[in-house]
Amino acid sequence: MESVLQAFAAATQPGVLAATAAGAIAGLIVSAIPGLTFSMALILVMPFTFAMEPIPAIAMLFGVYSGGMTGGAVSAVLIGIPGTPSAAATVFDGHAMARKGEASVALGASVIASAFGGIFSLLVMVLLLEQVAAFAIRFGPAEIFALVLFGLSTICGLAEKSLLRGLTAGVLGLMVMTIGLDELDGVGRLTFGTVELQQGVHMLVAMIGLFAVPNVIEAFANHGHVRREIVTEEVRGVLPWRRLRGYWGLMTRASVIGTIIGAVPGGGGPIASFLAYDHARRFSSHPEGYGHGEIGGVVAPEAANNAVMGGALIPLLSLGIPADAATAIILGGLLIHGLEPGPLLFQTNLDIIYALYVTVMLSWVVILLAQVIGIRLFVKVLKVPAHLLGVCILVLCGIGAFAARNSLFDVYTMALFGFGGYLLQLARIPVAPVVLGLVLGPTLEQQYRTALILSEGSHRIFLESPFALTMFALTALFAGWQIVSTFRARRAASASEGVS
Amino acid sequence: MTLGVVLTLLAVVWLWLVDNYIPDVATEGEPGPRALPFLLGILLAILGVALALSGPASPPAEEDGRSSAGPAPRTAITTVALLLAYTFLLDKLGFITATAVLMLTAMAGVLGMRRWVFMAVFAAAFAAGSWLVFNTLLGIPLPRDPWLVSVQ
Repeated sequence: MESVLQAFAAATQPGVLAATAAGAIAGLIVSAIPGLTFSMALILVMPFTFAMEPIPAIAMLFGVYSGGMTGGAVSAVLIGIPGTPSAAATVFDGHAMARKGEASVALGASVIASAFGGIFSLLVMVLLLEQVAAFAIRFGPAEIFALVLFGLSTICGLAEKSLLRGLTAGVLGLMVMTIGLDELDGVGRLTFGTVELQQGVHMLVAMIGLFAVPNVIEAFANHGHVRREIVTEEVRGVLPWRRLRGYWGLMTRASVIGTIIGAVPGGGGPIASFLAYDHARRFSSHPEGYGHGEIGGVVAPEAANNAVMGGALIPLLSLGIPADAATAIILGGLLIHGLEPGPLLFQTNLDIIYALYVTVMLSWVVILLAQVIGIRLFVKVLKVPAHLLGVCILVLCGIGAFAARNSLFDVYTMALFGFGGYLLQLARIPVAPVVLGLVLGPTLEQQYRTALILSEGSHRIFLESPFALTMFALTALFAGWQIVSTFRARRAASASEGVS
Repeated sequence: MTLGVVLTLLAVVWLWLVDNYIPDVATEGEPGPRALPFLLGILLAILGVALALSGPASPPAEEDGRSSAGPAPRTAITTVALLLAYTFLLDKLGFITATAVLMLTAMAGVLGMRRWVFMAVFAAAFAAGSWLVFNTLLGIPLPRDPWLVSVQ
């Protein structure tokens, strides 16, 4: 109890509060702008946190997370384009409501649902985190290796429709991470004798290049071609509590969906919100209203995509395994501050974990206030042309890459990764598995080799642990299922082609 | 098809590099620093061949609101070249000047903007503002402009 009070005190210090608020508002704004995703908001905020103490830094990152998940709905409702992929399901009914003259109600309902989903999943997370961590504390290198392998393989498989492309992405990410000094044997790998490459590719530098630069390129390329129609209704900051009577059950069920999908590796916001939307329509007493401005079609996906956060943080904080790209970026941010997520974190830095809970709660207060007071401002932000922001983002990319290690070499590296990210986009190879490969690669390799050193070279160590065996079996099962379903889909496609 | 071939070639180059540039040393009992890079190279080669053989099986999925042809290669090359030049100038001119030059070039060259007064004010204000926020307020040591030293 005492540590909870201490955490509350730490999280409500003026500096930390300011960081939370700044993060939440930055997340709201960036993800409200179509073309700038919420993963990018997280990456762009990262350099701001470098010089901070761990608690305000975490406060800012998690503020961006909550704000980013919520902000996507603003443009979904007003323009009919999701500000961030997680808000795609909100477009159907959110924009329809706006066209019926109910934009303010739709925005208010979405922010209430977002806060509800976020807080719901936070509570679930608080209840489960320590238990999972207590279970995982007994894990040795063999178990961790098996767990990471499972996480990585599911994410690669689920990331895109094409299994081959997803796996390719994961392998590419792992390859990049092997460059640099090999810590176990102390030899350089593909460093070609240069000092700069000894340190390896900094994961944040690679992420900036892969996520942010292609976004800017797209904004530049679309300049002058994309026209947006913003709903002209005078938008007011309202919280339509009355309209939501009868929808709390739906929001709770959507939050459960979001929390579960969030905790599954490879899940994430877009999947959760579509599942919740589908659920809402199916179990509605008037499904014909969906797609024509039904408020249930706004609150269900918004509650679900915000509930993803709490779900995704369970494997991240207790096991050190990110479930999607956003949590992988958060993991990068935590590592920069010397906080290695995993069961040990609960023994060494419990204060930080409690402070994190309080911070996320507070970020919801900020978001609700921001929506009521500042909604008119957001409408103005939507009118800022994306290409002009792109110019500013280029500068922020440079600052972020440089600040990671105070090295100009890293800025060059970032630019090259930016081109790499563009090429991946061109080849329709998903970026998320690359990033997970980058983040999880070192753990995967080190745990494997440490396990073998412990067992003096015998692979039996992996077969003697029931948990590791279960994970290997799940990995194999999942891979088999993916391969079979890919072939089935292909056969079905060629069969239907033959018919037509 | 092309993608598969490119990836396979990449894998071959990677394997050659690993074979020639990573020393073959290992602690007793563990596979050593070459094992994972080798394995990854082989995996990439397999995936490349599989992609090449699978051909254009999956039709281009319906794009979510993006331009389906993919962003223009010219814009991509220009943007990345700008970033590389920016890095070079950061070293030579310092943060504020290099940033202002980058922004002006991007606005005039890539976006074709011609509102010079707006552009100059915007670039100068953003460059100086970022310096104040990141360097002065947050204590991130960005490359210092030579003229700034003489001012202080």
